[in-house]
Amino acid sequence: MARVAASLRRLVVVLSVLSAAAWLGGCAVQTEALRQSPPPDLPVSAELAATPFYPQTDYQCGPAALATGLGAAGFAADPVQLAEQVFLPARSGTLQLEMVAGARRQGAVATRIPATLEAALREAAAGRPVVVLLNLALTWLPRWHYAVLVGYDLAAGEVLLRSGTTRREVMTLRSFEHTWQRAGAWGIVLTPPGAWPATAGAEAVVEAAVGYERSAAPAQAVLAYRAALERWGGNLTLQMGLGNSLHASGDRRAAAEAFRRAAAEHPASVPARINLSATLLDLGDVAGARRAAREAVELADPAWAERARAALAATQRP
Amino acid sequence: MKSTTRWMARLAAVCISFAGFVTSAQATLVSTEQVAAAQGITSPSAQRDRIYAALDRADVAAALQERGVDLAQARARVAALTDDEVEQVAHTIETAPAGASDFLGVLVFIFVLLLVTDILGLTKVFPFTRSVR
Repeated sequence: MARVAASLRRLVVVLSVLSAAAWLGGCAVQTEALRQSPPPDLPVSAELAATPFYPQTDYQCGPAALATGLGAAGFAADPVQLAEQVFLPARSGTLQLEMVAGARRQGAVATRIPATLEAALREAAAGRPVVVLLNLALTWLPRWHYAVLVGYDLAAGEVLLRSGTTRREVMTLRSFEHTWQRAGAWGIVLTPPGAWPATAGAEAVVEAAVGYERSAAPAQAVLAYRAALERWGGNLTLQMGLGNSLHASGDRRAAAEAFRRAAAEHPASVPARINLSATLLDLGDVAGARRAAREAVELADPAWAERARAALAATQRP
Repeated sequence: MKSTTRWMARLAAVCISFAGFVTSAQATLVSTEQVAAAQGITSPSAQRDRIYAALDRADVAAALQERGVDLAQARARVAALTDDEVEQVAHTIETAPAGASDFLGVLVFIFVLLLVTDILGLTKVFPFTRSVR
C-alpha cells in the first residue's frame, strides 16, 4: 500500500515537472504581441520615478508593496503599521483580499485591473503604479511575492518594479508576464475616491466601490460613486450606492434625487423605489413616499415583496 | 407537519413585518451590497455574523491569542471585507471537517493563515527555494 502511494507520488512529481517544463518553455505571448505591434496610443516607455519606496523587512513584501501603492496615491503609509493591519495568509485566493481590505481601511479605493499586460502597462503610462502579485517560482511550488509596477520600456523589453529591498528592479517583460500570469495576473491600482483607473471594467469598479462604501466615510464613498457614474451612468448598483452614501452622509434631499433617477432609469427595480420611499418619508413627503412604495409593491418582485410591503406600511402609519 | 411548518412560516412573516412596522420610523434602506447581489455581482450573504461568532468562541479566541493574533484586529479585518469576500471565508469554515477537535483546528488554521503576516509561509515549507528578501 505504502509502496503504491510512493510510486504514485513519484509519478505525480514527474508529471508536474514535465508539464511545468512544457509550460515554462511556452513563449510570452503578450510580450511578443506588445513588442511587435504596440498599440499606437501606448507610449514606448514610462517610468514613475517619483513613486515612493518602502523596502520590505523580513517577509513582509505585502505591506511594503501596499505602502508603496498608497504613497503613490497620496495616502500616508507606514509599512510597520500596515503590517499590523494587513494580514497576509500563505494561501492564494484570500491573501489578495487582505491587500484590498487594507487599502480600503487607509481610505484608498482598490480596483482590480484587467488581467492583461497591456492594461498593466497602460496604468503605469497613465501615472498609476500597479500593485501586482507575482509567483516567482513554479505553479506547483509557488513563491508568492508582491511588487509594484512603476514603469516599462517596450523597446528594451523591460519592466521596472519597486520590489522587496530593491528600489528599482529591472525585470524582463517576458519574466514579468510569466511570473504575473502564474499568480493569476492579479493587479490592483489604488486611487483616492473620485479617481478611477482608466483600464478598469464596469464590474471591477462596482466591486471596488461597493467594498469601499463598507469601510469608508459616507462622504468619501459619495465621491467614488459620483466619479464611477460619470463613466457608467446607467449602472443600477452605482446609482443605488450613490443614493445610500448620500443618505448615510445626511444629505437626504440629494439621496432622494439619486434614488429617483435610479427608479426612473430602471423601471423594474424595486430597491430603487423602496429606498426612494424611505428617503422621502425622512423628508416628510408622505404622499411621495407612499406613491414610491406602492410602485414597489405593484412590481410584485418576489425577491423584494416583503421589503416593499414594509416600506408601504411605513408610509401608512398615522 | 406541513401545516405546522406553514403556520410557523406565517408567524415568522407576521413577526418580520411587525418588526419592520415598529422600526420603520428609522427608514430601512436596501443596502448597496444587497442591490449588487441581486444584480448578480456578488452573492448574497449574512455570513459575517457567523465569522464573528466563530471569533467569539472562547476556544478559538484562546488559540488565536496563543499565536499572538489580536482579536480586535481580526474583527476589524472581517469588517473591511465585502459580503462576497466573507462568503469565501465562511465557505471554507463550513466545508471544514465537522469533528469537534478537528473543527477547532481548521478554524484556527484559517484565521492564523488569514491573519498572520507571513506571506512566505509556503516557501519556508520548502527550504530549497531561495528567499525573496
